Amino acid sequence: MKKIETSLENLKNDIRQFYNPELNHFIVMNAVDLGEKMEVQWFFCDYAFPCEVTTFYALISPDAEIPDLREIVASAWVAESELVDLMNIKIEHTTKGFVLESDSESGPLRKKNNYGKAI
Amino acid sequence: MGKQYEIPLGAQHISLLEPLHFKFTTENERIVDTQANLFYVHRGIEAACCSKFKFRQVSFVVGRVCGLCSISHSTAYSQVAEKLVKIEIPRRAKYLRMLVIEMDRIHSHLLCLSHVAENSGYEALFMKTMQYREFVMELLEAVCGNRIQYDFSIVGGVTRDLKPMVAEIILKRLKIFLPQLDELMDIYKNNWTLSLKNKNAGAITRADAMRLNVVGPFARAAGLAVDVRNETEDLLPWKEVGFEMITETGGDAYARNILRLRELYISKRIIENIIHGLPESPLVTETKAFPDGEAVARIEAPRGELFYYAKGNKTQVLERLKIKAPTFSNVAAMVEALNGNEYGSAPAIIASFDPCLSCTAR
Repeated sequence: MKKIETSLENLKNDIRQFYNPELNHFIVMNAVDLGEKMEVQWFFCDYAFPCEVTTFYALISPDAEIPDLREIVASAWVAESELVDLMNIKIEHTTKGFVLESDSESGPLRKKNNYGKAI
Repeated sequence: MGKQYEIPLGAQHISLLEPLHFKFTTENERIVDTQANLFYVHRGIEAACCSKFKFRQVSFVVGRVCGLCSISHSTAYSQVAEKLVKIEIPRRAKYLRMLVIEMDRIHSHLLCLSHVAENSGYEALFMKTMQYREFVMELLEAVCGNRIQYDFSIVGGVTRDLKPMVAEIILKRLKIFLPQLDELMDIYKNNWTLSLKNKNAGAITRADAMRLNVVGPFARAAGLAVDVRNETEDLLPWKEVGFEMITETGGDAYARNILRLRELYISKRIIENIIHGLPESPLVTETKAFPDGEAVARIEAPRGELFYYAKGNKTQVLERLKIKAPTFSNVAAMVEALNGNEYGSAPAIIASFDPCLSCTAR
């Protein structure tokens, strides 16, 4: 897995330069709660043999608003909507209520909700 | 322009056995807009895997994400965990994993085809397809001990060996299955009623499949040659056992039916090759290491690319586990492919997408 660091300011430019629907596809978006910070990740994979998974990641403050990628990656709204519900992060043009009902408890995968508590 | 009506389909609907809700806007019986909601059953499996279970137990937990592709989940998780503890599994274990994955693909594809037949109003074909599927369920039980939740792949290898007697039975039953598969191909390809219902229904072009990052049979039926088995061999040697890429060009429900049937011939060949060339080795690589760092694993489940991301922190419990199911990747395309079709065709089209909300709302 190749990891490329980006920032919220450069995200759209970096993805636009990298992503070519003829050559690679968007897999999914993910976030890892690091406590003070959040690591947001965008996974892509080549249409090739052998393929390589490329991950763009940005370390952000949990209350920062992430730019949406749907103008570059048409199907990104599904992953963005899921992350808003499960991680309680803000993504441009994305509202709650896709994989969890809009009145559900926010961000069940956030550490403050006992996620990651040792057994 | 006619009057527009909003018609809900699901989350409980006679033709949609998944907790998925579509809201169709229709005009003169034709769907002009579709909205999907997935929020009915979120099971919190990712959170449980990172809090309630040790990393070795997680392969059994994720095996319960889905009843149709249980082996794909437990294998993908085992692969990502093996990367984190830095071990390579024995060669025989790799072959046995591929064997069960392909047997699982046969049962899953036949289940999907039977649902398409049922939702197209062809009840007899539904029963015939389910009848022909039954042999593989019995064989899966003989190999793994269970019909559905196999608990076969574990971190480091597999739980059971293939007994010579079971291998012989599999080969014998596959010979009986071949003419049954030919018969199904003939019906799904040439039956006038079924063609009428499935041709041009829920169609998507190759360009749209590419634009919307579609995976699995949904993409391949539209001509987009995307299959994890064709893209990586670092974890399972697919080409060694006879994998061949299959694509169709129609992009509609009919093309998806034919593609799935054609893929069954390949699965049959792969299973035979695995049994004939099964290498001798132990079944498990033992390790006492704890997961450290981060890794990803991809596997071609019956519905397409299944993706696992895991992050370890040198403890027994994972820091983060992310599961991306194939249906999740296809949601955007499903919504677009329904638009423009007659509302009456929606159940058959949805069945032809082979959606699995059990995986998606893991």
